[in-house]
Amino acid sequence: MLFLASEPTTPTIAQEILWAILICPLVAWGLIAVYFRKIGPVAGYLAIAGIGAACVLSYVTLFNVMDANGGVAQFTHEWFTAGSLEVNLGVRVDGLTAVMLVVVTTVALLVQIYSQGYMSGDPGYGRYFAHMCLFTTSMLGLVLADNLFQMFIFWELVGLCSYLLIGFWFHKPSAAAAAKKAFIVTRIGDLGLLAAVLLIWNELGSFDVAAIQEWAHDEPDGAIVTLFALGIFAGAAGKSAQFPLHVWLPDAMEGPTPVSALIHAATMVAAGVYLVARFFPVFESSHDAAQVVAWIGAITALIAATIALVQTDFKRVLAYSTVSQLGYMMLALGTFGYVAAIFHLFTHAFFKALLFLGSGSVNHATNTFDMRQMGGLKKHMPWTYWTFLIGSLSLAGIFPLAGFWSKDEILLDAWRHDKALWVIGLSVAFMTAFYMFRAIFLTFHGEYKGGQPVDHHDEDSHFHGDPAHPHESPWVMRGPLVVLSLPAIAAGWLAYDHIFKDFVNGALPEVHAHGSSFEIGIAISSSIVAVAGIGAAYAIYMKKWVSSESIRATFAPLAITFENKYFLDRLYEDVFVVRILQRGWNRLLELNDKYIVDGVVNGTGRVAREASTRLKVVQTGQLQSYGLGVAAGVIILALAVFTANPL
Amino acid sequence: MELTILIFLPAVAAGIILLLPQSMEQNAKWVALGASLAILALSIQMFFAFDLNDPGYQFVERHDWVEIGSFNLQYHLGVDGLSMPLVVLTTCLTLAAVLVSFSVTMRPRAYYACLMVLSCSVLGVFAALDFMLFFLFWELELFPMYLLISVWGSGRKEYSATKFVLYTIAGSAFMILGIFVLAFDANTFDIVELGQSDFQDTLIPLGWVFALLFIGFAVKLPIVPLHTWLPDAHSDAPTAVSVMLAGVLLKMGGYGIIRMCVTMMPGVAEDWDVWLAGIGAFSVLYGAFITLRQTDVKRLVAYSSVSHMGLVLLGIGALGETGLVGATYQMLAHGLITGMMFVMIGLMYERTHTREIARLGGLARQMPLITTGLVFAGFGSLGLPALAGFIAEITVFIGAFDKFEWAVLASIFGVVLSAGYVLWTLQRVVFGPVKHDWDGVTDQHHWWEHTVVIGLAALVVLLGVYPAIMTDMINPAIDTIMLRIDS
Repeated sequence: MLFLASEPTTPTIAQEILWAILICPLVAWGLIAVYFRKIGPVAGYLAIAGIGAACVLSYVTLFNVMDANGGVAQFTHEWFTAGSLEVNLGVRVDGLTAVMLVVVTTVALLVQIYSQGYMSGDPGYGRYFAHMCLFTTSMLGLVLADNLFQMFIFWELVGLCSYLLIGFWFHKPSAAAAAKKAFIVTRIGDLGLLAAVLLIWNELGSFDVAAIQEWAHDEPDGAIVTLFALGIFAGAAGKSAQFPLHVWLPDAMEGPTPVSALIHAATMVAAGVYLVARFFPVFESSHDAAQVVAWIGAITALIAATIALVQTDFKRVLAYSTVSQLGYMMLALGTFGYVAAIFHLFTHAFFKALLFLGSGSVNHATNTFDMRQMGGLKKHMPWTYWTFLIGSLSLAGIFPLAGFWSKDEILLDAWRHDKALWVIGLSVAFMTAFYMFRAIFLTFHGEYKGGQPVDHHDEDSHFHGDPAHPHESPWVMRGPLVVLSLPAIAAGWLAYDHIFKDFVNGALPEVHAHGSSFEIGIAISSSIVAVAGIGAAYAIYMKKWVSSESIRATFAPLAITFENKYFLDRLYEDVFVVRILQRGWNRLLELNDKYIVDGVVNGTGRVAREASTRLKVVQTGQLQSYGLGVAAGVIILALAVFTANPL
Repeated sequence: MELTILIFLPAVAAGIILLLPQSMEQNAKWVALGASLAILALSIQMFFAFDLNDPGYQFVERHDWVEIGSFNLQYHLGVDGLSMPLVVLTTCLTLAAVLVSFSVTMRPRAYYACLMVLSCSVLGVFAALDFMLFFLFWELELFPMYLLISVWGSGRKEYSATKFVLYTIAGSAFMILGIFVLAFDANTFDIVELGQSDFQDTLIPLGWVFALLFIGFAVKLPIVPLHTWLPDAHSDAPTAVSVMLAGVLLKMGGYGIIRMCVTMMPGVAEDWDVWLAGIGAFSVLYGAFITLRQTDVKRLVAYSSVSHMGLVLLGIGALGETGLVGATYQMLAHGLITGMMFVMIGLMYERTHTREIARLGGLARQMPLITTGLVFAGFGSLGLPALAGFIAEITVFIGAFDKFEWAVLASIFGVVLSAGYVLWTLQRVVFGPVKHDWDGVTDQHHWWEHTVVIGLAALVVLLGVYPAIMTDMINPAIDTIMLRIDS
């Protein structure tokens, strides 16, 4: 009775508000796509208006759900019936949904504002904002869905938008290839999700989130529960770029940078984490599945962090960092750290979006993402530098910034669950601090190396400035950086007095007490490794006390493995797709089709023609005579049947 | 009378077109357009007048036709929830086929007359309730198809046209035997009565009869290994014929299997369900793997059709209401999506005169509208949610999962393969650097082109977001068939 005040109740929010959140950006999309594709800045304003409206309504929803202490409200409507299959459309809001709504719409809105500057002058300006609106709609649909079927729909639609935006500059072969890769690799994971959809209907006859949670609760460690959980996780692993399906995310950096910030850092890639969190009771019921989630998360975090250590491309450092942090979130979920995972998703969305937008600002000044052509930008771009520094400190987990609190909760859950996972988590924390500050020192400190000269023959380039004289970005881009650095500093303080925890716990049917979410020993150890990581980067890249080349030479085999991304791309593309599938198996089937299956057909034709040459009387070459032959045959057969079986 | 008007209006139009004097031959398209608009309007009017609470046949017309011995062949027409949507699909695609033909100038009278006869025969197949009448319409379709491919086609057009005709005739020979055996046994050619009879092994084992009919329909569907006529026919046919072929002719096969094989001999279907589902899943995968090897855009879409039509058979093989509804929905979805795919490829071919993927590339810059349509159709083809194909695929999967988990799990692998071939094709055909070979080409610009593309896209979206418009009609018809299967 002590906690009576925080007991979740049903929010009083009107369902029209929830549907409106979904529809506002959709309307903006429709207007841009139909009328304003070509009309200059209107597309951008419409996107801001549509997403801004959704953002305001999301905050209304948030406060409403806060009044209800994170409880659940659900509104379901019948959609269609096919045979015995009944599918509903509905919205569900609770603590988890509310957090996601706010994250998605806030970041989306800031990214749209930033894009006014970043995308200005691009020939595809209208198309860009149309896709962005469609993405926001799909993402909001995903988090609002009250059933798995509907989630799957929006799940695929965010994939579509990701494809369209990665391939936004489709004339670049690398962008077209990256878009395709992203869609196909995530779809491999989606096979698992699709199988889970089929399985749950067969088992339960319902897709309803609440029904599935209840079902899982009633069948602890059932085989079907485990299969279902693994299917869900396969889908999540594709979207959230978990090993071995992580390979698409770094390539996705071919898209415009604000796209990377919104889709490939803050929202869509976190959808996998959201999905697993949404079905958290299923994973609680299946310890095997949870174990898989934890270890895949840990492996992903480790692999991606090691690759990030050796990247020379500013944006790819951030991309691998995102993969690594998503692994962290999965690690948390697998160790039953539901709150920790969502909390890290929440803080990460802000500081990672900030970092990506910062990298875009750098690109805006230097026309490149290659850190070897940068350096010394601190004095040219102070706003970008200081906000980027805040984001990096937050990501590195430095007290008292946001990342410190959320990362700490994950490490605490790992510590309680399995010491080996904690060790991995801690080493990743060290590498995270190291590679972020390596990037900062290479980019913002030292001497400026001139950027990438503008290619004036490239008609698609819309670069305005002079890379030789880098300049700070305009206010429309600086503003979002400043705004995002506020949550990057302070979002973690919601850990105070279990505010965040109690709120998102309202989404679960049953909450297990997990004890304190803070332990001073864990906090100190993680702070030490973070500071050590920054110190090591300082020693190597700032002061150059130790040369990075000599370290690379000492650990050459490791460095080569990291630089080649563990050779996974080559294994998948060159060996599996090209050699085994295309030139092997598919070629075999094609030859079979051409020479055996069709060979028999043509052979039959040839034999028939041979025979008919001898029976020239019959062979008239006229189509009618063939028809006549068939008819005659039929009559003869009919007569035969009649004779044998008189009626 | 509605159905008679619907079926024979195109035939009358064909007659008028042929009677046009030489000097007015370029007006043939307007006659064809008028007729196809009229049948579209009529079919839509029927669609909304259709009583969803009546699971039986509606708009029934029945007249004595020919009497042979104790047999009374009847002119018997009617549509139920299974055939009504297919009739509307046919009228929609007929209009699309006429519109994409507007650029045809060679011998337009004969061309449009053939197109109209083709439409008449397909509508007849879907509306006929007498098995001989059905067969007559079934065979009627061959003549216009043969001429359309062999005269207005490209490449090895005579070879492809002959192959198409001979293949179908071979299938028909099996089918007519099956029809006779069933008809002699039940002493009627009436499809409604045949669908209510309990057949035993009579002249020949019932399983053989099922097989005879099945082969006739399976050639049309097509299933692997009876599919090799399809890529040839598609690649050499003119655009409008590809649209009709993929859009509605293949559906005659699926319709026949449900209406004749499953409804008349449910016992045999149940004994063989594992084969039906197995062949279906096999076609899905086999088609998808081979699609990945194609270098000609039209052959590529043809093989993807083999893969998609495999899902129809998988849904039928499940012999459950969900699977059968899914199979029917897949026919509609595939008809619209692949029809649109062929329209887009046709528009592109008209401008570049090549279908070779290696020669194309970077067209998104020169043809932004055609590219948009192609990307849309491509995502429809890979089963993107909110488009028609997704609803169909997932309904088939759910319907079959309970009985044939293995077949469904194999088929969902086809979902990844379809993403592979669609996106890889898009990458090579429309994305990448601009090729200066194609600098002079125009984008989609005629009103008829816009009409077809927007119309088909709108239908694909409609069936993707509001499936109830079709499923509410299909469900009762399938329930009736389920009563037969369950008894």
